[in-house]
Order: sequence, then C-alpha cells, then structure tokens
Amino acid sequence: MNMTPQRSSVRQYFHNMINGITSMYEGMSITLASCFFRAQTIQYPDVDVSSHETLIKDYKGNLRGIPENYRGMLDVDMATCTACLICMRACPIDCIIITNVKCDKETFLGSTGKKAIKTRAATRFDIDMGKCMFCGLCSLPCPTGAIFHTKEFDATPDNLEALVQKYVTPEEAERLEKRAVEIAEEAQIAKAAKAAKAAEKAKQEAEAAEKAKPEAKANDPKTTEES
Amino acid sequence: MGKQLRTEVMTINMGPQHPSTHGVIRFIIKTDGEIVHECEPDVGYLHRSIEKIGELMTWQGFVPFTDRVDYLASMNANWAYCTAVESMIGTVVPRRAEFLRVMVGELNRISSHLIAIGATSMDLGGFTPFIQLLREREYINDLLEMACGARLTYNYMCIGGVLYDVPANWNEKVAEFLTHFELAMEQMNRLISYNRIFINRMANVAPVSREQAIGYNLVGPNLRGSGVQFDLRKNHPYSVYPELEFDIPYGQGREGQVGDSYDRYYVRLEEIRESIKIIRQCIKMIPEGDIQAKVKNSIKPPKGVFHSKTETPRGETGYLIESNEKTSAYRIKIRTGSFTAMSIIPELAPGLFIADLIALIGSLDVVAPELDR
Amino acid sequence: MLIETMTSLGVPELLAQFIYAVLIAFLCVNFIAIYAGVVSVVERRVAAKMQSRVGPNRVGPQGALQWLADGIKLILKEDLIPNGADKFLFKLAPFLMASGVAGAFIVLPWGPSSVIGADLNVGLLYLISVTALVAIATLMAAWASNNKWSLLGGMRAAAMIVSYEIPVAMGLLPAIMIAGSLQVSVLMDAQGWAPWDWIVFNNPFAMLGFLLFVTGSVAESNRTPFDLTEAESELVAGYATEYSGFRFAVFTLAEFANTWVVGAVGAAIFLGAGHAPPILSSLPGIEVVIFVGKTMFMVLILMWFRWTLPRFRIDQMMDFSWKYMLPLSLIAFFGQAIYFLGTWDQPGIQIVVSHLMVLAFLGLLFLFLNRVMINFKHQAVVVNSPQTELAYLEKIGKIKPKVVESDVATEEAP
Repeated sequence: MNMTPQRSSVRQYFHNMINGITSMYEGMSITLASCFFRAQTIQYPDVDVSSHETLIKDYKGNLRGIPENYRGMLDVDMATCTACLICMRACPIDCIIITNVKCDKETFLGSTGKKAIKTRAATRFDIDMGKCMFCGLCSLPCPTGAIFHTKEFDATPDNLEALVQKYVTPEEAERLEKRAVEIAEEAQIAKAAKAAKAAEKAKQEAEAAEKAKPEAKANDPKTTEES
Repeated sequence: MGKQLRTEVMTINMGPQHPSTHGVIRFIIKTDGEIVHECEPDVGYLHRSIEKIGELMTWQGFVPFTDRVDYLASMNANWAYCTAVESMIGTVVPRRAEFLRVMVGELNRISSHLIAIGATSMDLGGFTPFIQLLREREYINDLLEMACGARLTYNYMCIGGVLYDVPANWNEKVAEFLTHFELAMEQMNRLISYNRIFINRMANVAPVSREQAIGYNLVGPNLRGSGVQFDLRKNHPYSVYPELEFDIPYGQGREGQVGDSYDRYYVRLEEIRESIKIIRQCIKMIPEGDIQAKVKNSIKPPKGVFHSKTETPRGETGYLIESNEKTSAYRIKIRTGSFTAMSIIPELAPGLFIADLIALIGSLDVVAPELDR
Repeated sequence: MLIETMTSLGVPELLAQFIYAVLIAFLCVNFIAIYAGVVSVVERRVAAKMQSRVGPNRVGPQGALQWLADGIKLILKEDLIPNGADKFLFKLAPFLMASGVAGAFIVLPWGPSSVIGADLNVGLLYLISVTALVAIATLMAAWASNNKWSLLGGMRAAAMIVSYEIPVAMGLLPAIMIAGSLQVSVLMDAQGWAPWDWIVFNNPFAMLGFLLFVTGSVAESNRTPFDLTEAESELVAGYATEYSGFRFAVFTLAEFANTWVVGAVGAAIFLGAGHAPPILSSLPGIEVVIFVGKTMFMVLILMWFRWTLPRFRIDQMMDFSWKYMLPLSLIAFFGQAIYFLGTWDQPGIQIVVSHLMVLAFLGLLFLFLNRVMINFKHQAVVVNSPQTELAYLEKIGKIKPKVVESDVATEEAP
C-alpha cells in the first residue's frame, strides 16, 4: 500500500533522474528569486502601523495599516450614552454590566447623526475586557454610537483588575444616584401636587356644580336682582 | 527461512504535543521500527463544548462561536450556521448580501487551502513554501480586515445577511490581489507540486478507493480526491452558486493511483484556481442594495428539527438544530469533515512508514478545532 | 616550521611535536566554536531572506551576536540526564561527534597550500575515515537516550551514513586521479587560478565527481533533504531529543562545523583553492580571502539546498544511494580513467575540453539567472498599489466621494 511503483524499466529510471534534476533546478531558481523580494515583516513597534500612509514610506505600499472599521479595544463615550441596555443584551458572553437610574431629560445628536432622547443615566458601566471577544455585536445596535471600537490593539495592563474597564466613576455614580433620588422625590411631589390640584379642581367643580343646581332653581328672581 | 526471529512491536505515542499533528491530536502507534502496524487516534484534547454553549446563547449571539469551530475557515463556518437559522425562520437574504457572502467565503476557502498545502509541505520538510503561502494569506487577511475589522475570527455574517458593508474600493482591491496571487501561487506550485522528492513522498501513499471513501463518509476534497465528483455547491446548490460557472476538480491519479495523497493534495490546489474564477465572476455581478434582511431582534423559530449543509473548505459541514420556540436553541449538532477523516486513519495506517503517516494526516487536512469542537 | 624553531631552541623533538599538536588542536576547536555560532546566525538570516521575513536582528548589529545569546542560554540550562539512560554513553556521545568532526580539521587548508595543520600524504583517506566517527556517536546517542523515538532516529542515521560513504569517496576519485596523490597540498597545487584550470571543469567526469561529492556530503552531515534522522516534524529532534543545554549545543556545533569541512574540501580539491589571479597576487593574505570566499560559497549552496527541498523517506534515501549514486560514481571513476587513457599524451585535447566545460557552465548559469529573473517578476506583481486607494478612485470618477455625516448633522440643531 505504500511502495512507489518499481517499474524496473530503464525508461522509468532515466525519467526519474531527469525529472529530479529539472524540478530541483526550477525549485532552486524560485528560492533564489525569493531572496531578492522585500521582507513582509512589519517591525512593530519601530514602525507606525496606524494607517496606510504611515506604512507606505517603509514598505512602498505593499502592506496596509489598520483599516477604518478595525475592531480594536472598546471605548464608551458616556456623554452620548442613553443607558438603553441594548449592548448589554446583545453581548453573547455578558461582559458588559450596566445599571441605570432616571436622570434629567436631554436631547442631543448621537454620533450616528440621529436625534436621541436621554432619560436614563448609567451609574455603573463595566466592560470586562478579559472576556470580550471583539465580535462587534455590541457596537452595531447602539442607537447613538456611544460604544464603539477604537483602533487600539496594544492594551495589556499590568494587573488583572485593570482589565475591567469602568466608565462611571464612583463620584459620578453617587451624584447620579442622589439626583435620581431627588428626581424621584420631585416626581413624587409633583405627582402629589398634581393629584391634590386635580382633587381640588374636582372639588371646585363639584362645588360649582352643586352651587349651580340650587342657583338654577332660584335663577329668575336672583339673576334679575344681581344683574 | 528456518525459525522465525522473535520481534517485538513497540507502542509509541505521537502525543498531543507534536510539531506535525495539526493541533492537539494524539495517536497511539504500534510499530516495529519503521512500519506502522496499528494506529489508534485519541481525540478530545481541544473539546470546548461549543455545542453545549449553543444551548445558552441567543441565535445571533452564537455566531461568534461558530467562528471558533474552525478558525481557519471562519467565514464558511459562520455561513453554515446562518443558512441553517435562515431556513428555519424563512428569511430571504438580499442579493448583495448573498454575493458578499460568496466572495468572502471563497476568499476564506483560498486561505484555508493555502494553510493545508503549506502545512503538508512543511511536514515533509520543505519549510519555504509554507511561509511564502502564508505571505499570500496575509494579503487575504488584509482584504477581509477591510471588510469586517478582524483577521481570523471574522463574525461577519448575521442572520439575514452580513453585518458590515465593504468599503467602496474593495472590488478593485480584490481584483488587484487576484492578479498578483495567480502568478505567485503558480510559482509556489512549481516549487512543490512538481518536485520529484515531493511526488515520491505523496504518490501511492494510502490510496482510498471510491467505495471506501463513500463507505467511510469522507467529504470535501478527501472525497473528490478519490474520484467521486460530488460537491454541495453543484449537487445541492445554495445561495447564488447556481448562477456562477465553475468546475469541480476530482482525483484522476495524476502521479500514482486514484485517491492517493497526491490526488487529495492536488484537488485542493485546483480548488484554489476555481475559487479565483468564482470571485472574478462575483466582482462583475455584484449589485448594490441592502446587506441585511429585516429580522426581529429576538428570534423565535418554530418548533422542530432542521438540517442544513454547506461546503466548507474541509468538506460538508452540517448543522442539525432543534428548536423549542425559545430565544436559544434546544440542541445544536455540528458535523464537520475532519471528524470522518480521522475515522479512516486506523483503516489506512497499517503498512505505512511513520513518515507516510505524517503525509497522510497532512493530505487529509485534519484540524483539531474542527475535530473536537 | 614551528617545530624547527622549537628544536633549534633546544626543546626535545617529541615535546616540540606535542606542543605543536596541542596548539593546532586548540586553534581548530576555537575556530569550530566561533564558526558554528556565526554560521548559525547566517543560516537563519539566509533562511529568512528566502522566506520574505527578517530573521534575528535584535542582538548586536543586525543580529550578529545572536549566537552568543543562544550559547549562553544553552550553557545555563539544567543538565538533564533521563531516567534509565546509560550515563557513560549518554555523556560521551556529543563529544565523540565533535571530535570526529574536529579531527577532520587538521588536514584542511586555510589558504595557501603550505598552511595545513598536518599535511598527511594520505590526507583525503584520513578525512573520510575520521568523519565516520559521527556514525558511531549518533548510534551511541540514540541508544543511550532510553527513548524509542531517538532510537528510531539513530537507526536511520546509521544506515544512511554508512551507505553515503561510498559516493563521497568515489566522487573524490576523479580529482585524485587528475592530481595523482591523496595529499591535500598536492591536490591544491595541481590547480591554477583560472576556472579552466580548476579540477571541477577539467572534464565532465570530474564535474560528475564533484556533484556526487557534494550530494553525499549533504547526506553525511544530516542536512535536508537528508535530515530524516532529525526530522523536526516527525521525531522532534531525532537522536538528540533527550539532550538539553550544553550537550545539545555540542551536537549543533558539530553539525555546523561539518558544513565547513564540506565547503573547505570542495573548495580546496575541486574549485581551485586559494590561487589568486596575477594582478591580485601581490596583496597580502589574498589567498586566504579567496579560499574562505570559496568555502563560504559552498556553505551558502548547502543552505540553499536546505531551504528549498523537502526531505526523503528512509527507503527512498537508500534507493537514491544504492541505485542512483553508486552507478553514477562508477561511471565517474571509469569514465575518468578512460578519458585519461585516451588523452594522456595530448594535452591539447584536455585544454579544449576544460575550456568547453567552462563555457557550458557559463551558459547554464546564464539560463539559470534568466529563470530567476522570470520568477522574481512573478512575485513582484504589485498589491495595494495607489491605483486602488480611495483618493485615486474618486479622482478618476470611478466611485462617488463619501458624504461625511457629521458635516450634515451639525446643521440640524435640536
């Protein structure tokens, strides 16, 4: 099952010899030609790889830099984040953890160009880069473009805790929670005031209706006197 | 000859760590010094429970995991899963998305075959062709990086289309690459495929007959190397393959018997040429339009068992998905070409030299991640 | 020369000879150590050049001190002797291999034909015999490692080295016949500076002998395409799998030193060692430079073979030796003898034949370089040219410039 055919004819013998020499000749010429071809290696970090233009002077356009939609490390722009939790639900491995509270209403333009209304703010936005597999399923559905991939790939921290990127500082979180409590209280007060006002209005209407009924009965004599 | 000399057969371990098994595969070989008497593969060293993970992920969230089932042909693996789910929920993929899928799928087929050819050559001692072919593969990775942002685990396809649109100059770049690549590949071909030493090492090594190939359920280039003209892209066409013109290469016993290692190797080489043809046609035919069909955010397919099969570089990848109308599957079963290729090795190994066993594993193109999932 | 000076100073003759021998051995071993290190770096850079990559270039200028870093690392490693290994043989094997190769250095020239360590009158015979110690050392290492994989490698190596001794020896025979002696200095003096005075271009059978010598020596030194004894992808490191640290360094040292031996013998015996053309012969040390240049050229050809060809299987290698190289070496031997018989008293024919050989070789070289140029053009087709960049395509109107959304968006104030 494994033997090369030993057709012991003289033709096969000479064919083998000639074939061996010619194929070796061709092979050696190819490797000698390869010697004169430019090396493919990009000697990072001696070379700036951020774009095609920076590489072009070293490698004459043979190699590319990092393209525009490269999926590098994640970054979040908290100013445009509306804490809608879409990225948290889209992540397959649950490496994004967001908790949100109510906040003052804002409208602004997201980086995708669409109008966005912000009614909630995040008090905790943690991305565990140790788990992240850079699949891009979080950045695509974001309505404002707050979470996006940067072009950074060289981001090794020196301790394990630094792998979890926290985008909301504790002070900011405290401030937002206090504000959220205040908003809740204000909402409470406003609701109570509204309810009281509505009750009062209803009472007034009821009184007015009551007043109107006996007045309507004694309408003719009274109205003639008053007018 | 007189009394037989008492010889002993030694059991050696071509262990999980070995420079030439492509990944972590273990073989327990019984040999008498040079000839292999018995060879038993021991798989499972790279098992990562991907099928079990499929029961916990949402339908779209599982796509990055299919990347890792076979990371050398990640686009085709994505595609196999996405066609399965699309047939379950009955989505029609827009035409531009179909053409983009074919283009990146064929580019990935080329790069996967480049690794297969290069690794075979490296196992046999020719180190240069492997690295030169890897240089070509870097250009393909650049093209795919422009399209989707990653170089190995692409996560490009989604249920209903593709996730990112390609830049405006992508078609020109692909055409330029193909012009360069054809010449460079023919050159590497002349370096290895017609080399007398290489032919002597691969020809007539472990021939697989038609009946054996069909009986052991080989797929892909392994099956076509034995002379069976069967390719899912022609026999059970999917996507836009019916509109594209290409041939199916099959083993013809170029340098030895039909179905030996050289035939399987040569079929892969020819498939690269056919893929170049397909990509050129796609560049001409690709229309403008949507890249994604409108699919609900949380998909809930109907109850039942569904099956789909596509032609990945290592053969036919089948997905059997059972759904319970939930947001994640009830059971996903992936059937890959490398698994059955492993099953034929104990049948073919007796009688081979150890060096031939290496050539056989290389010609069957077994990769460990696809084997163990 | 040194011995005479010492005896004239009153040193007894035996002691003078002993001191001389120790000095030569010291110089040779030091040369081997430094050369093996440097050529390992050169090999890695040459391999990288052929494979479109860079190779070691960090340690020292252009990586020239990489061998020091590797050597220091290997010396500092733990000295492991596997359990159950035969300790004495395990420790002896690397040094036996190195001494087999180093023993060949004393009959090698260094430039002029008078600078030879020991100009034995059976120089070439001694050379071939001493390098056979390598076979014994390989078997010793394989057996003493207590490892089945190493044993496989060692058995293959023994079979291979024994069968390739014949083409090496018989490839040298045409040269010996032309010069008439086994002594290395006589062989060197039988050549001149011009290519048609070299032994390799003397007649086709000498050229055949040279090719057989080179091929057989590649097999003797366990290099690809004959390196299945240490086939990296099959047996990790063959007979040297269980060796680590300095003992492994000695194996590698011996293998690289063997390349110098092959190169030096090829240059000295076939390629007209050291003879300088008349215009340059007045420069001091020119013969050494030319000799070293020719030797390194041979070593580079050996490296070129290594990174081009895949490796043979054991039965194919035996086939190759006994069925192809042995008949060819017999043809070379008898052909040379018949050629001499025919042209013994007609030096005119010999001169014509040698000039024709040089012309044929130059023609072949020209065709080869042409092929190299064609292959280079195939690789040099441009990818990622400016013609496919966005700016150029927008300029020629093939694609529409992309409207940047942020410009539009700022106009829509909330």
